[in-house]
Amino acid sequence: MMPADKTPTPPRNLPDVCVRCATCMAVCPVSRVTPRFPGPKQAGPGAQRFRSASDVSVDDWIELCTACRLCDTVCPAGVPISELNLMAKAKYLDERGRTFRDWLLVRSDLFGELASRFSRIVNPLMKNPTLRWLLDRLLEIDRRRTLPEYETPTFRQWFAARPVMSETVGRPQIAYFYGCFTNTNEVDVGKASVALLEAYGYSVGIPPQRCCGIPRLGVGDLRGAREMGLRNLSLLLPVVREGIDIVFSSTSCGLMLRHEYGPLLHLPDAEELARRLFDICEFLLRIQQEGSRTVRFQSPAMKAAYFAPCHMKSLNIGLPALELLRSLLGIDIPLIEAECCGLGGLYGFKKEKYAITEEIGRDLAKEVARIDPEVILTDCEGCRMQIRQLTRRRVLHPVQLLRDMLNRA
Amino acid sequence: MKRWDLIVIGMGLAGLTAAKAAAEKGAKVLIVGRGMGSVTLFGNTIDLLGEIPPGKDMQGDLTRWIAAHPHHPYAKTGWAGIEASLGAFRSLFPPPYTFDTVGSGNSLVPTGVGTLRPSYLLPATMTAGVGMSPSDTIIVGLKGFKDFQGDTVSLHLQCRGVNLSLPRYGLEGLTAIALARLMDEESFRERLGEAIRSQMAGEKRVGLPAILGVSAPADVLKTLEAITGAKVFEIPMLPPSIPGLRIFHRFREALIAQGVTFLMGNPVTAAKVKEGRCEEITVHNPPIATVFRAENYILATGRFLGGGLWADMERITEPLFHLPVFQPESRGLWFRERFFQPEAHPIHRAGIVTDEDLRPVDSEGRVLLRNVRAAGSILAHHEAIEGHSSEGIDIATGNLAAGRALSS
Repeated sequence: MMPADKTPTPPRNLPDVCVRCATCMAVCPVSRVTPRFPGPKQAGPGAQRFRSASDVSVDDWIELCTACRLCDTVCPAGVPISELNLMAKAKYLDERGRTFRDWLLVRSDLFGELASRFSRIVNPLMKNPTLRWLLDRLLEIDRRRTLPEYETPTFRQWFAARPVMSETVGRPQIAYFYGCFTNTNEVDVGKASVALLEAYGYSVGIPPQRCCGIPRLGVGDLRGAREMGLRNLSLLLPVVREGIDIVFSSTSCGLMLRHEYGPLLHLPDAEELARRLFDICEFLLRIQQEGSRTVRFQSPAMKAAYFAPCHMKSLNIGLPALELLRSLLGIDIPLIEAECCGLGGLYGFKKEKYAITEEIGRDLAKEVARIDPEVILTDCEGCRMQIRQLTRRRVLHPVQLLRDMLNRA
Repeated sequence: MKRWDLIVIGMGLAGLTAAKAAAEKGAKVLIVGRGMGSVTLFGNTIDLLGEIPPGKDMQGDLTRWIAAHPHHPYAKTGWAGIEASLGAFRSLFPPPYTFDTVGSGNSLVPTGVGTLRPSYLLPATMTAGVGMSPSDTIIVGLKGFKDFQGDTVSLHLQCRGVNLSLPRYGLEGLTAIALARLMDEESFRERLGEAIRSQMAGEKRVGLPAILGVSAPADVLKTLEAITGAKVFEIPMLPPSIPGLRIFHRFREALIAQGVTFLMGNPVTAAKVKEGRCEEITVHNPPIATVFRAENYILATGRFLGGGLWADMERITEPLFHLPVFQPESRGLWFRERFFQPEAHPIHRAGIVTDEDLRPVDSEGRVLLRNVRAAGSILAHHEAIEGHSSEGIDIATGNLAAGRALSS
């Protein structure tokens, strides 16, 4: 393991591992909708052969990579394509400088708590056409993008105010990494996660935690991402060292904590955390399969469909939510056949990229229209935001539907 | 820890076929691929054996050919096994996007280098290319699309060719997938159809690069044929293959619907073997190594490109189970003198030797791993490249391996 103060090293594999087979070109959501991005083969290993640390970056299209990581999942040669892109993007933006907008957006964790407290003022303001026009003009935050609403109280405040449940004392403990968005914008996902974990016999704790740092990776800010990572490690390692597993409900936070802290950012002891960190549905599915505890659910009377987030594919744990939903609810839930929702996290809020995210999302919207579900289930908050905007339908985290179907009798 | 009935290693056509066959029999199946698998690279048509001349009855001729080639993987499956597995494959593709023969045997399909290649099952989008003649066909290339050189194709096929600008995009360099996605859009393909019609001079057939839609190829064909008044066909070209992607998507959709666990993107880095059985495999997604256990395993990792076989400067090895690899005596004998020649290069016959059950054996014929079966191109004694038999071997042996694994 590298010392903590070193900046990240270049990617693990040489670009020469690439055999130019172009499989990545078949899945890249960006290059399939715009010729402005040359696609993962060219942008990653192709251009990497011409890059050098001492030369000024010239490939301005590198910013168009959404970091969905689908290219990594299909590459038969094991080239870390998205990592090559990320490094190139980081260098490019380090040289060019980042905009105030990008500086602001990646710090949503800092003003989120405040916005949450004043949600009654902030939410109407965020819908105000004049303000949105100003944000669009001055900051280039696209006014067509629906901004997420803030909720009061935050998940953390709700959890702290809960009466202590006497029956959970002495139960096995589990820790929950809820993530910023659950804390301030989708509190019900956190409530549902807690309810399910408790139904399965766990005593749930929420350790202190910070933003995972993935928004900073999105703007190539490796230093910032490392800072967030180091803080989280100092907060979460004591938990796992007590022998307590941690579950996450946000796919991208989970991916960041589990797979980027160690292999990409070389943070000390990241692997120790990664080994005890699980996607909540992955965790529940394992409990279910071990058969140590049976929890009963009702079958929903509505037609549901599931969408697999790109970062779920990158976690490479199968589709535990879909498996869990099918086995616990006893209904067939179709998988929405689309590669990517298109949002790319904060990418989709940026004016110069909005059209790309909308065009990628059209494939998904078409599939949803064909299946015509009453509720769409997906693990990632970015996907939920985008699918809501694209389809105007009800979109939930799988744990929310499961919680609703808990047979409490 | 969960135990699977079957773990399939490899996500090419052999692995996909095996996983589907096992899942249909009710088995709990895990399929793991380090990448998307070769079907997205080269998958277009389903080739059985190129040397059976077009017009000949496949069943009779291939049955006789198998009798004369007792070491070939087809000898394990026989015609019956091939026929059954092709039936299972075709059941994945209901009308209108079907895979069919033209006549009762092989037919010649125009390719992206302007040759005619023998093949057995063709997707509905390629059948109209069979029997083309220089006078009745026009080849349409797209300006700015580098993966298909319409001029080369039309020159070699001795027919007329045109290069069209793309509606809406002009000369911008679009990729195959971007084009195929645009073709799924009715208004786009209508405009392309009109552009083609304006260039036609009485031709009865139109050949286009294989980009006729990702999700609705049959609709694309219908629109283009209605507008041009001619038969339209796709021509296989450079990777990634859009027709191959359609095959992969269809398999993935069917497997996930059947409850198969689908792991793509990380390699199997280790296999633990004890007393002639594989006990577990490890999938490595840094920094996490996850162990999976099953009753049976299928090794469908392909050859050199897929990573199933590994060649150093001297020898060819199998990196996962370290199985003995049948191969030429020395490196000097790997290749023949010229790259392009009718006879196969000896290295192409290298691979894993198995018993009738597809279980790997040593040089004495003793079974090495009782619960591991090899399927697809990793098997020894075939010349799939020169023999035009790649998909047939994948499908037939994948199907057989799954059947034998579950009945063991």
